Order: sequence, then C-alpha cells, then structure tokens
Amino acid sequence: MTLTLIEAALLVFVLGCAVGAALLRDTLAAVMAFAAYSLGVSVLWLMLQAPDVGLTEAAVGAGIMTVLFLLALSNTASPDANRLLEPVRWRTVVPVAGFVLLIGATVPALPAIGDPNAAVVGGEVSQYYLENAYAETQVRNAVTAVLAAYRGFDTLGEGVVVFAAVVVTLSVLQQEVVA
Amino acid sequence: MSTGSTDSDAAADAASGDGETPELYVESAIIMTTVRVVAPFILTFALFIMFHGADSPGGGCQGGVVAGSVVMTLAFAYGIDSTRQWLDGRVVAALASGGVFAFVGIGLGAMALGGQFLQYSEYEALFGQATKYAIELVELGIGAIVAAVAIGLFFLLAAGFDRDTEDDTV
Repeated sequence: MTLTLIEAALLVFVLGCAVGAALLRDTLAAVMAFAAYSLGVSVLWLMLQAPDVGLTEAAVGAGIMTVLFLLALSNTASPDANRLLEPVRWRTVVPVAGFVLLIGATVPALPAIGDPNAAVVGGEVSQYYLENAYAETQVRNAVTAVLAAYRGFDTLGEGVVVFAAVVVTLSVLQQEVVA
Repeated sequence: MSTGSTDSDAAADAASGDGETPELYVESAIIMTTVRVVAPFILTFALFIMFHGADSPGGGCQGGVVAGSVVMTLAFAYGIDSTRQWLDGRVVAALASGGVFAFVGIGLGAMALGGQFLQYSEYEALFGQATKYAIELVELGIGAIVAAVAIGLFFLLAAGFDRDTEDDTV
C-alpha cells in the first residue's frame, strides 16, 4: 500500500484532530478539533471516490454537529480550563491502545483500493446494482438508486428515525413548538 | 451625562459581566451583509444537491442539511431569537411531518395501484419515467424531513429548558 503525500498528510491531520478532540480540556477547543476531524475525514472520503459519503460527512459531521455542540455548550457551564490537556490515565490508555492495535491489525487484510477481486466489487449484489440500476430506476447515481429504490424501506426507516430525533428533543426539553 | 456611554457600558457589562451566560450574539454589519448576499446561493446549492442527487453525488439528506444550515447562518447574523420570531414554527413542523407523509404516501400509493410498498414502477401506468420522478419526490421528502429537523434541533437546543414565557405564543 502506498500513500500519496496528500493522503499521508490528511491521515496525520485526521489522527491529530481525533487525539486533540479526545485530550483537549477546553470543551470548545475539543468541539473545534472534532469539526476539523470531520472535515478531514470528508476529504478522505472524497479521495476514496465516495463523494456521497464525503458530502454527508462535511454537511452533518463538520457542519450541523458542530453548531449543535456549540449551542449545547453555550447552555452549559464550561469547566475551568486551567490546563491544556486532560490528564491521561494509564488504565484508559492500555485498553484503548490495545483496541487500536487490534483494529489496525485487520487493515492489511483489506483489499487494495480499486482491486477488481475485492469482495464488494465482485459480489453478486453489487454487480446487479451497477448493471441494472439505470435500466430499472432511470437514475444515474447508483448510490441514490440503492438508497431510494432498492433499499427504499430502509431509507424510510432512517427518515422516521431523524423525525423521531426532533420529537424526542421536544419531549425531553418539554417544549411544544419546534421553532 | 451622555446616554450613549451608559448604554455601551451596560452592554459591555452584560457581555463580559459576571457571566453565567455570556452574550452569544454580536451584531456585525459585515456578517449581516455577507449572510444576506450568500444565503440565497446556499439555498440554491441545497436545492441543486437535492434535485440533482439522482444523477450526481448528493440527495435529499445532504441537500436538506445544507438547506437547514441557511436558517442557521441567518440566526448567526441576525440573532437566534429574532430568527425564531421570523420563522414560523408551524412551517418547520409541517415540513418534517410532510416529508414523512410524502414518503409513506408514495409507498402506499404503489400498493393502491396493485404493487408492493414503495414499488415505484407501478406508477409507470400513470406517467412516463415514473420511477425516476418517484425517487426524486422521495428525495425531496427526505430533504424536507432533514432540513426541518436540523432547524428544529437548532432552535430547541438554543432554547434549552427555560424558555421565557414571552416566546410561548410563537
């Protein structure tokens, strides 16, 4: 596996932002690091040629989530940030590092990007979608065809889950109007 | 005694003050002008993502989030409370529930025509390229849900628990 310079820089950026979001003591700074992390990941999706996912990550992860986090922070008391980083406890570091190593060990098992023999590409279902999506749904974006047509019922469920989010927020905050 | 200085002093006190709730909103002509100019373009881009999601990356979810963010930029420029008063909460609620109803309605309509739930091809009997237009309608429904929920969560989180009684009529 070879990385281009820009991919390597993005990976370092994303990892740095993730560690920053976890370790920074100032919650505002942690939220900002988290937003930068989302933006970096969305660019990574774009470089992996998944623009639909990248767009969602940029809009939801970097955009809406940051705004909602900031609003929530503005309604809470912020802890005094008398030092830069959270104290790191070894009993936390050891399991987390072990988990990271475990997950990292599976990375070499993944197929290379664009490998024609990869399970997803060679899979019967994926090939069916790629070959028949336009003929059956008249939609050129295969992702949209899968989301809205082949998996329409799932997407309906997702829409209802999103709708439920605002209903739950109304109930928890004991409000009766959304705006 | 000049009223101007006392006003600004009072404002400064309120802003910096003993500060359990620091003032969120800063009125800025630059931000207001920028948002006024940019907002229509953001909304157009959101609708493009929503409508063009069938043929290019994007779709209802992404477009809906961007459309919802238009209201957030307005709140950023003009203040959350004045934006809440400008925005009709019933429209937001109608968008969220209307999106769900449109999605379910399209699914049930296909059943009424003799197909299965969400079997868009059943609409071919009524008009050409029905599957494509049904998908577009579904995407618009998703967009309406997501945009309304994003706006709703924004205002609800901003309000928090103790909304003052003055907002009860909104």
